[in-house]
Amino acid sequence: MCFSLNGSHRHSIHCIVPPYMLRVLALRGDPRTAEMARSLLKQTEKLRDDRAELTRAGLPPDKPLSGAFASTAVFPAEGLCCPDRRIHDGQFRAALPGKLVRSEGDGPTGIADADTAYDAAGQVFSLFAEEYGRNSLDGEGMPLVATVHHRRDYNNAFWNGTQMAYGTGDGKVFRTFLELSVIGHEMAHGVIQHSGGLIYENQSGALNESIADVFGSLSLQRALGQEVHQADWLVGRGILGPGINGAALRSMKAPGTAYSDNMLGQDPQPWHMDHFVTTTDDNGGVHINSGIPNHAFYLFCAYLGGRAWELPGRIWYRALQTLNNPMASFSDWADQTMDSAIELAGRGSIETVMLRRAWKLVGIAI
Amino acid sequence: MIIEIAAQGGFGGITAGRLHKTIDLAHQPEQMRQDLAEAFEPEELARLASQPCGDCADRMTYRITVTEDRDSCSFTLQEQQIPPDMLDLIDQM
Repeated sequence: MCFSLNGSHRHSIHCIVPPYMLRVLALRGDPRTAEMARSLLKQTEKLRDDRAELTRAGLPPDKPLSGAFASTAVFPAEGLCCPDRRIHDGQFRAALPGKLVRSEGDGPTGIADADTAYDAAGQVFSLFAEEYGRNSLDGEGMPLVATVHHRRDYNNAFWNGTQMAYGTGDGKVFRTFLELSVIGHEMAHGVIQHSGGLIYENQSGALNESIADVFGSLSLQRALGQEVHQADWLVGRGILGPGINGAALRSMKAPGTAYSDNMLGQDPQPWHMDHFVTTTDDNGGVHINSGIPNHAFYLFCAYLGGRAWELPGRIWYRALQTLNNPMASFSDWADQTMDSAIELAGRGSIETVMLRRAWKLVGIAI
Repeated sequence: MIIEIAAQGGFGGITAGRLHKTIDLAHQPEQMRQDLAEAFEPEELARLASQPCGDCADRMTYRITVTEDRDSCSFTLQEQQIPPDMLDLIDQM
């Protein structure tokens, strides 16, 4: 049963579009198409009679389609030069983007959060540009728009589809979100969106989170010049409140150990598929189960040694550009990283052996 | 009118970091009472909840329950479905 956008009568064209395809259209379509798809999805959710169809749908294709998004990013972008940063002060309100306080080339504002956001955005841009040949988040030089001081006592940072926003934290649970791995994480969500996207729920959502963590961590490691064994592999180090017993929000090296606190409880991230968490909270545990692919990336880097943003980062980046499956499972993603490793390091290379071993250790066979 | 707001999700995904607020409009100053009553009118919440929302990463989910004359209505809204002015009101509560 399907309805047109105004819900008043049936629409045969909309009826033949399955929900999983609407999800992809909502993610990848032009603004009008995306709006149409979201409206239809919203109506579909209300049609309880269609629940069985919804649960059967969403199966990814047996083989990835041709890499529609690969052309813009696997090869270095033309005219790649400099970031175009635009940092705004939200003045503790919710309206975005707020007051522009620092544009590209401007000197420091004296607003600590704004200057950190500016510097960090430059470092993340530099990682994607210089290491992977990508021109900004969309591969086409889009401005890097960010808002600091978003809302009051706001315990969050996010990418809203067009810009980054950072709260200050409430000073108890979080003390800040202006930390390079966090900023790299949010900006990586933009890269993921413009690389074909990963639907933000269940395993594909956890992959979205994991890939954001990977490039957030790589942004920090590269800025600090750290090799694999020098890095702490923490995401959000130092952002937890002063009374919280914890080093960071997540640990890629040892998922589940980032914090252990009377108020927060134990870091819930698993590192192995045996401990995969099935939940309806958090979009199906996207911030929880991301620990599994996070740990696979860490293991792979640890086996190889050296600089994680070089070959491992290139493999992950290439896999993202060629995946073309917004509903990818962990297993799909592992396969894609192997394809990329073969392309970049050669079939039968030690790197591919180590990659297979890393995935196997977290319970994913490829 | 009693408004109860619970929020979860976000970049941290930390359970204990969830927001939880309850406010009784009878105990609010006149202006605040008017603003809240208008913004949290169940019909308005239902309209907002029916708006399409995208797949934005790290956003929060709000569960809003309005109780009036012993009748309760609950709505689940994504952060991106809530107008900025209403988010500001939530922050002020």
